[in-house]
Amino acid sequence: MTEASKKVGGYKKVVIDVLLFILVAVLFVAFMVPFLMTILNSFKVKMDILRNPLSLSPSKGFSLSNYVDAFKKMNYLTAFFNSFMVTGFSTLLVTILSSMCAYYYVRHDNKFSKICSSLMSASMIIPFQAIMIPLVYIYGAKLGLLNHRSTLIFMHTGFAMSMSVFIFQGFIKSNVPVALEEAAKIDGCGRYRTFFQIVFPLLGPTTATLVILNVLAFWNDYLLPSLVLGVKAIKTLPLSTYEFYGTFSADYGLIMAALILTVLPILVIYLVLQKAIISGVVAGAVK
Amino acid sequence: MKKSTVFDIKAGIMFALPGLLVFFLVVIIPFVYGFYLTFTDWNGVSQVKSFVGIRNYIDTFKDTEFWSSMWLTLRYVLISVLLVNIVAFFMAYLLSNGIKGQNFFRAGFFTPNLIGGVVLGFIWKFIFSNVFTAIGKSLGAEWLSKSMLSAPKTAYFALILVTVWQLAGYMMLIYIAGFTGLSHDVLEAASIDGATGMRRMRSIILPLMVPSFVICIFLTLSRTFMVYDLNLTLTKGGPYASTRLVAMHVYEKAFTSRNYGVGQSEALFLFVIVAIISGIQVWMGRKKEVAA
Amino acid sequence: MKKSIAFISFVLAMLLIVTGCSKGSNDSSSSATAKTVDGSKVSITLLNSKGEIQTGLEKIAAQFEKDKGIHVEVIACGAGEVPYTKITTMYNSGNAPTLAILDPTDIVGLAKEYALELTDQAWTAETEALNLTIDGKIYSFPFCVEGRGIIYNKEAIESTLGREFDPKSINSYSSFKAILEELRKKGMENPVFIAKEDWSLGAHQLGFIYDAYDGTTAGSEVIINELKAGKDPLTVDRFNQFVATMDLMLEYNFAKADPLGADYDQGALELACGNVAFWPNGCWAWPNLVEGGADVNGEFGFISFVLGDDTSDFANNMIQASASKQIMVDKVQSTAEQQAAAKEFINYLVYDANGQKMFVEETALIPAAKNNPNAPLDPLGKDIAERTAAGLLYTSCFIAPSDHWSVMGAAMQKYISGNSSKADLASALSQYWKAQN
Repeated sequence: MTEASKKVGGYKKVVIDVLLFILVAVLFVAFMVPFLMTILNSFKVKMDILRNPLSLSPSKGFSLSNYVDAFKKMNYLTAFFNSFMVTGFSTLLVTILSSMCAYYYVRHDNKFSKICSSLMSASMIIPFQAIMIPLVYIYGAKLGLLNHRSTLIFMHTGFAMSMSVFIFQGFIKSNVPVALEEAAKIDGCGRYRTFFQIVFPLLGPTTATLVILNVLAFWNDYLLPSLVLGVKAIKTLPLSTYEFYGTFSADYGLIMAALILTVLPILVIYLVLQKAIISGVVAGAVK
Repeated sequence: MKKSTVFDIKAGIMFALPGLLVFFLVVIIPFVYGFYLTFTDWNGVSQVKSFVGIRNYIDTFKDTEFWSSMWLTLRYVLISVLLVNIVAFFMAYLLSNGIKGQNFFRAGFFTPNLIGGVVLGFIWKFIFSNVFTAIGKSLGAEWLSKSMLSAPKTAYFALILVTVWQLAGYMMLIYIAGFTGLSHDVLEAASIDGATGMRRMRSIILPLMVPSFVICIFLTLSRTFMVYDLNLTLTKGGPYASTRLVAMHVYEKAFTSRNYGVGQSEALFLFVIVAIISGIQVWMGRKKEVAA
Repeated sequence: MKKSIAFISFVLAMLLIVTGCSKGSNDSSSSATAKTVDGSKVSITLLNSKGEIQTGLEKIAAQFEKDKGIHVEVIACGAGEVPYTKITTMYNSGNAPTLAILDPTDIVGLAKEYALELTDQAWTAETEALNLTIDGKIYSFPFCVEGRGIIYNKEAIESTLGREFDPKSINSYSSFKAILEELRKKGMENPVFIAKEDWSLGAHQLGFIYDAYDGTTAGSEVIINELKAGKDPLTVDRFNQFVATMDLMLEYNFAKADPLGADYDQGALELACGNVAFWPNGCWAWPNLVEGGADVNGEFGFISFVLGDDTSDFANNMIQASASKQIMVDKVQSTAEQQAAAKEFINYLVYDANGQKMFVEETALIPAAKNNPNAPLDPLGKDIAERTAAGLLYTSCFIAPSDHWSVMGAAMQKYISGNSSKADLASALSQYWKAQN
């Protein structure tokens, strides 16, 4: 496309480019306002925030004390570890299970696949509130399985299945030629081996997309973990953030510091892997 | 290994079963159990529940607040879906033309997706009621020194604004993917044929982008219909219940008003309505796709 | 073929790692709880619906464990989580808290099915007037007393007026109006702050029409039943008086320009700084006033939420105070040992010297048990303690359905922002109650 427009080229094009750049830059700054304000105010005390959130010279000055406080109150390291475990294993499980499932749907286009696959698509629009109570009733009161990280991992996997299968399915259908598998079969490869050695590597971009989307969803989720994890020692980061969020009034500075601390790990990974992530999402999004 | 249409049990057990099992145990079984609860008078906590037939469904029809919040939600969805997709498409178009810092901007616009709904609502509430008003006061601008969240119309608009802010970046990436997928040859051929500017956009780019539109609209539809976290933390349905969207109404019906059966059957209604609307949307999109 | 076996074993190994590790996480989580369960130690849980005392409660729990060897885990309600929803899900999940701090209306909803009867407990004698009785039985411990009225900042008033201010002199609509006018003349243009929160407007302000019926909970039921039976609120004296006082405060409202942009936090700030003189709210606001810069020795206190012009009316001389938070003990999902431990925790708060002291100091609440010798430390608590001694409190605590505060709170928001008339408010109220039949 760039080449096509270069041909039109010339002075006019430069002006338009500069204008467009300014437009994008302005939009970008507007997009960033909430983050900048949160970071700025996370270093202030509550009253300075309420008096003037924009001030760059608050009466009590800037300090790191909100961060120190939040770090302690959140049990940051424990919560971080829990979030890490839950997010990691859920993502791993859902990636493997959903890719296998999608592979089956595509390669075995029978009634059973059709029914299951449309059931999954439909379930993407079930409001979570509609199954929340039955869910805790079955897993808590009936089976007594709550308060385990593995239960949360299991549930995360279940809830993320439909969307992941949906996306994998589309990709496999249009991008993975059957011929390769047939060759593998002739070579005497087993089914699992065919799948994991031949098909799965071809899913690269989509896998990347899904890993990103699922990691974000699991890392930030609040409602489901709050239902499953009742014991302090296994709480995830969002849970411990909201714990000290007062009923009547919130300690703004502290909360903002906690928010930053919660998002920080994701943000760091994002900044480091930015290019790969964005191109991953881009590559896997459509198809 | 041709596409088999017969039921291959071994493959089924090896590939589909593990995932399906988890899915059924976590999603379908609770859903079915919830469906059963809509036929009882359960209050959400009691140990006794008795069968009441379809009374909860009748109550759902009579619950005028449910239908008015549904109507409110429909308008919200319509406006948000339109705005999100227009903004996202526009941004994607700008960021696929080799503009300086293209990758940096792409990454930046995606950042709102790194943060969960509850946190977003909290930050934005702070921005609307503290930051914007502070700006307004220091500029002496009357209209800006009032909190946008304190009047029904502006609060509704605030909700839409945050939705667009949150979803546009994600949808932008899908559109960028769509643009990247457009074949250079087609575009080049088109410009040799003299198709430029709006005409190129209308007759060549838009039709080729239909698959991206289908996906984006489906995703925005389901996200906006289900919005709850943001609604709760940003406006709490206020001022005076004027921005209470349907998911929040359902939640309050079930828990604050302690009318679990009715809340549950309203949730089912919501599900059916969303299913129909997104079904129609996907079907129409597919038809266009085939035509194009 | 060899390769495929290798591959399958690789996959199996991976699955084993996954399950193995998640099992590992199981173990670590159960060992975390096991620490407290092992040996003879009993472990109980306490659901806390008052976010601002979370840290204080945790300290008390730690001391209790030291003294009595019982571990108490304090569970908080997260942001935007309704306590009743929380306890509902906990009951459904089979994880019911042994003890739960809840609003009276929630206790009423759960008592018969889930709460342990506590009528025979010794402390009931210490909390007599504040006990919540349901069909003649007590199912909950009155945790703390909370009073509400109109908070004043004496220093702000006196420095504006240039004269002494006696809070007792405000005992009617007219005297309240007079002082507001005087403040305005002397330069404090808008001396009242009205916070927009629905819980404040719907439960605490509007609630005066029930609580001030005759000052008793039984009286509040009378008026509620009349409204349910279809009585027009416009013919209810308390309703008319309430709206008149509300109108007066709205006339002098600090946030007149944007009534629904004025939140609770800002109210605390403006009152503490002396930008306003009056703020209709309750004693729970003290920590927020401190954040706003108020000092423990500052002169803050309550005047009555004045209703009408009768200076001998109890509502104009007393303020409302009741046990607005109650603790219930679960009888269904807890073991007998846990129930005994829960009772012991309550006794600890009532009778143990450490418990009594920490209750007052760590939570800054006013104990409902009158045998607690520790005086409250902050001015609002002191005011209530003095009023208790002088008999200047009425203890009505109206019980409304759980959605009353949100539905009527919305109606009140509409009213204070000028988007509905008195007649609209009356009809909203009337409709709400008629629908409860």
